[in-house]
Amino acid sequence: MNDQEKPVLALFYCRNVPQSGEAERQTLEEKYGRSVRFFPIPCSGRLEPVHLLKALEEFADAAYIIACPEGTCRYFEGNHRAKKRVERTKEIIGSIGLEGERVGIVVGSREGTKTLAQQAEDLTARISALPRSPVHVRR
Amino acid sequence: MKNASRLKRVLDAGEFAVTAECGPPKGADSEVILKKGEKLKGYVDAVNVTDNQTAIVRMSSLAACALLKSAGLDPVLQMVVRDRNRIALQSDILGASALGIRNVLCLSGDHQCFGNQPQAAGVFDLDSIQFVEAVRNMRDMGVIVGGEALDGAPDLFIGAAANPFGDPQGFRAIRLGKKVRAGADFIQTQCIYNLERFETWLRMAHDKGLTEKTAILGGVTPLKSAGMARYMKNKVSGMDIPDAVIKRMEGVSKENQREEGVRICVETIERLKELNGVRGVHIMAIEWEEAVAGIVEKAGLFPRPALGEG
Amino acid sequence: MITAEQKPIDEIREMIAPYKRVLAVGCASCVAECAAGGQKETAMLASALRMADKMEGEERLIEEMTIDRQCVKEFVLLLDDVLDKYDAVLSLGCGAGVQAVADMYPEVPVVPALNTEFMGETKDQGYWTESCLGCGDCMLYYFGGVCPLARCSKHLLNGPCGGSMNGRCEVDPDVPCAWQLIIERLEKFGALERLEMIYPPKDWSLKQGRGPRKIVREDQQK
Repeated sequence: MNDQEKPVLALFYCRNVPQSGEAERQTLEEKYGRSVRFFPIPCSGRLEPVHLLKALEEFADAAYIIACPEGTCRYFEGNHRAKKRVERTKEIIGSIGLEGERVGIVVGSREGTKTLAQQAEDLTARISALPRSPVHVRR
Repeated sequence: MKNASRLKRVLDAGEFAVTAECGPPKGADSEVILKKGEKLKGYVDAVNVTDNQTAIVRMSSLAACALLKSAGLDPVLQMVVRDRNRIALQSDILGASALGIRNVLCLSGDHQCFGNQPQAAGVFDLDSIQFVEAVRNMRDMGVIVGGEALDGAPDLFIGAAANPFGDPQGFRAIRLGKKVRAGADFIQTQCIYNLERFETWLRMAHDKGLTEKTAILGGVTPLKSAGMARYMKNKVSGMDIPDAVIKRMEGVSKENQREEGVRICVETIERLKELNGVRGVHIMAIEWEEAVAGIVEKAGLFPRPALGEG
Repeated sequence: MITAEQKPIDEIREMIAPYKRVLAVGCASCVAECAAGGQKETAMLASALRMADKMEGEERLIEEMTIDRQCVKEFVLLLDDVLDKYDAVLSLGCGAGVQAVADMYPEVPVVPALNTEFMGETKDQGYWTESCLGCGDCMLYYFGGVCPLARCSKHLLNGPCGGSMNGRCEVDPDVPCAWQLIIERLEKFGALERLEMIYPPKDWSLKQGRGPRKIVREDQQK
């Protein structure tokens, strides 16, 4: 599958994710090209459903947020809010006929939190079977 | 006015009154209600006709009462405030009196969500207590709500319902007092299975002097089965069925449960007869009107007292 | 505040189907408070509608704008500058907001995106309850601050009815019996005897006696 056919991922992540600084992001952007776009945010709690929706509307086949493990959010509840908002976004895209897997939240585990690079690899694998979004490609 | 209320006359004579309940059909067949009336005639002093009970559309209580009246019974017109505004309620009171109906029971009514027309607007222009007062003022002062004079006052014996088992317990006596002050000549209670709790309520009523001012008729319903007992306990609001009663019903075989239900009912009536302040019994044998005759006989209440013509 | 909930998106799509250039107008007041029609919700709905259109190959322009209060003329007038660009407005205001826009611009079709519900309170985050019917004759003093009209399912003034069980309304176990609340409240104030009074029939003409109501205050006019 060439680059044009791979599903495009919008990846939101909080700056608490290990090895997710500017330098690491640039390296990953070069590696993934147009198939992953990276969006750093101060806390997963700052994510709103409209961010995920606009990503899906404008370019993405899938939009995911990486949140901190339970109990470790710097701002205490950010990861809870992110979870609820992802659920709400699933409802909304479900109501217009898009598959729920197009949005999701990855919560790091407390033992051995993965780096941004590892998360990106896991997620691109996870969504690789998703067909291109009908928003961008007429079936 | 002729055709006085038999229920009133029985109570005035100091006798223990017997009333029963009868539900109109979900249709326009007058025979249905007349047949039910036949089963009750002679065994009861008055017959309540329910008003779209549980918010299910049935033949109007007023029409069914008129039919029973023509068959020689003394009907109690039940009227709920759920479906009609004050104009219609007062109008029906005048109509009922004109048709010779002499008893009315003023109720709130089950909420419309329970019935077969849940999308209907619930009216509740008046509440049951305001309605009792309105009827009393129509009868005794010849005026409608707001004070305008009537051209001929209605003649009605006015009743209200009371639930000795509803919440909040502490307030029930105040509410009963309000109904009496509003003009309730008689009170029919929710069906009794928990005699202890009923007697507590009765004592509260007595302490407020209410048992002197109004005639309390204790409600009873014969249980048809253990399943019915359980259903009423768990699913019907405002009921108190003690576990002991459920166990008693469960303790007999299915074929004997009706008999046991009747037995419990008769025992309850026997107790009510002994209680100071209870002036009668109201038998609500829902869709089992044929059981009433047997219950009245077994409770030693047959034949009904013969009163002079009136 | 006035509460509302968004209509199902299929219903909204059906109503805007004839229009090719739609302005979704949100309101930053009550409907923002109940997360139905504020700026965020307007952006979310517009995005979802655009995606749905794209999925069907439907060409339609959907843009967004949020005004402070959609029920106030001064704010609605802000639409003056932009409406030429569109052939319909999708209003995320309450019923009053939708009509304020429709009254101001009678030639512009206005589609309601919300179902307006009740006057009530934000009891807790994400939880709103009805508390006022707008009867025009507030009796809250007599009932310890609990309205028997709005919060009793049968709006009894001399309640409770026989269906009150365990402090719950017969209609729904999640609904507290308003009369239970009133009694408890008055007991706390030592004012339970206030309920000995037979409250007379409500004057409903203050709510519906002369058709849609209005208030005119000359001291407030220009």
